[in-house]
Amino acid sequence: MTRKHSVLLKEEKCEGCTNCVKGCPTKAIRVHQGKAWIKEDLCIDCAECIRACEYHAKYTKTDQLEKIVKTSDYPVLLIPPSFYSQFSAEISSQKIKKAIQNLGFRAVFDVAEAAAALSRKTLDFLNNNQGSYISTSCPVIVRLIKLQFPDLIEMLIPLKSPVELIAERIKRKFKEEKNINPDIFFLTPCPAKLTTVNRAIGQKESFLSGAIGVENIYQKIYESLADIELKTEAGRVITLATIWGSEGGEEGILKSWQELNTLSVSGIKEAKKLLNEIERNNIPDAIRYFELTSCTNGCIGGVLNVINPFQAQFNLEERIKKIREITQAHNLDFEKDDDQFYNFALSESITADNVSKLDSDFKKAMQKLEQLQKEIDILPGLDCAACGAPDCKTFAEDVVNGRASRADCIFMLRKQLGKLADDLSILAHELPPVMASQKEESDDS
Amino acid sequence: MSLQKQQILNKEIDSFDFQSGGEASSDLKNILRKLGVPSKIVRKTAIITYELEMNVVIHSLGGEITALISEDELEIRVDDSGPGIEDLDKAFTAGFSTASDEIREMGFGAGMGLVNVKRYADQIDVKSSKDAGTHVKVIINLAN
Ligand code: SF4
Repeated sequence: MTRKHSVLLKEEKCEGCTNCVKGCPTKAIRVHQGKAWIKEDLCIDCAECIRACEYHAKYTKTDQLEKIVKTSDYPVLLIPPSFYSQFSAEISSQKIKKAIQNLGFRAVFDVAEAAAALSRKTLDFLNNNQGSYISTSCPVIVRLIKLQFPDLIEMLIPLKSPVELIAERIKRKFKEEKNINPDIFFLTPCPAKLTTVNRAIGQKESFLSGAIGVENIYQKIYESLADIELKTEAGRVITLATIWGSEGGEEGILKSWQELNTLSVSGIKEAKKLLNEIERNNIPDAIRYFELTSCTNGCIGGVLNVINPFQAQFNLEERIKKIREITQAHNLDFEKDDDQFYNFALSESITADNVSKLDSDFKKAMQKLEQLQKEIDILPGLDCAACGAPDCKTFAEDVVNGRASRADCIFMLRKQLGKLADDLSILAHELPPVMASQKEESDDS
Repeated sequence: MSLQKQQILNKEIDSFDFQSGGEASSDLKNILRKLGVPSKIVRKTAIITYELEMNVVIHSLGGEITALISEDELEIRVDDSGPGIEDLDKAFTAGFSTASDEIREMGFGAGMGLVNVKRYADQIDVKSSKDAGTHVKVIINLAN
């Protein structure tokens, strides 16, 4: 079964409060019959609802390790830069990788390698093209732009994300050199990357077969670390591009090579604000590149991570220091021959998700707009969410689109009841003429 | 021939109200999306409206913004009461600004306002004279 989304509702745990409804950046959730349902066409998998829910009714279901190891002939796991933030810098990256491989993977690779290559390519792209660009690496940001800022799609840099880059390269390499078709999985810090497995961005299909949430295997890795003995700290040290795991990592690398105006913003609310300003040209043209991530602090803030983001930030910085010490290099290499083995360009154009239209016929849309205004005017404007929608305006839109009824608003219901009661009492006093005359007569006597 | 236009937005803009400055442009943007207007035009409109709105906030004593639409045309009217523009030709010159130093320090008033509006609008008509306020009418083509 291909799911459209990775953020799901555990019905039995949902209390029907409206915390997630209010916090959803795309207004994708409605409480209906006591449960907070997600509208698939609006959800961008940002995981804000998972963060907001006190009852843990919103969750994400990633692939299970046991199943992968059992069913795949050649499972390969990709490790994101942010994963290293989950461990103290004292534990070597080689050891961590060995522990992961021991879980049953034929090989493990660092996504940071591709991130390094992508940084070089990005700078090259910016130097050869005019205008300002937005990073395509965070799938939530791309989805948000497709949905709410379709006019900014042309600003998305047309390059693959590091995960897809490396997955594609590994697939090709294994096929050519060993005639093996590996199943590539991603160790994901967020639900959104899992969604891209089924719904790739700017590509026909993803090169991934699945994704495992960090929380699924962290414990196992952590426990096995003590038993791992490496003869020497064999294998290469991870790259400085591991800093991509936290906010500003990407722009920091670009700036270490060349003077460049860039801006990094993390957190979905801030990202929305920035996109809004970009949309109305209220951001200097001189800024050439925007690094936007949906999670606060960048990927280390991903909801599937285990370590708190503050500690994670510290760990990552310490590790970068270590890499610098070992490699005796302060900056990431500006050139590397094997970049040519990556296939950077996106193969398909990114298209808008046009869901805000009231109707595809202009005249009908105008009529609905008028109706919508009327509906908004009669609602109390309290945005109490008792109707199950995040605010009165959204509720009014649901009513106009036939997805909710006006009486779902308790204030409208009360009004209607009040009117009904008034009508009743009037009716009660309007006695039938026969009875009325009798009454008069008896009064006279 | 353009069809009867219907009003889709009318909002007051207060002088120096930087908190709500930009709301009209956001509202209009959302309305146009609901009507299914192509995103390139929505963007143009957002840029134009924001510029005009901020002009009122910065340069006038307050005013109002109105948007009307038909199937083939969008009309944006911004009327303010205030000092008006003395020299309209100059106002259409890039870099010319009468914003006070205080405003410039806030990062506004770089003088791109009307120039920017003209760049994105399909038609623009500005009526203004000293102390008579400024009245801007912008047309954006929707048909084709
Ligand atoms: S994941 Fe984000 S967009 Fe999707 S329903 Fe939850 S809060 Fe809304």
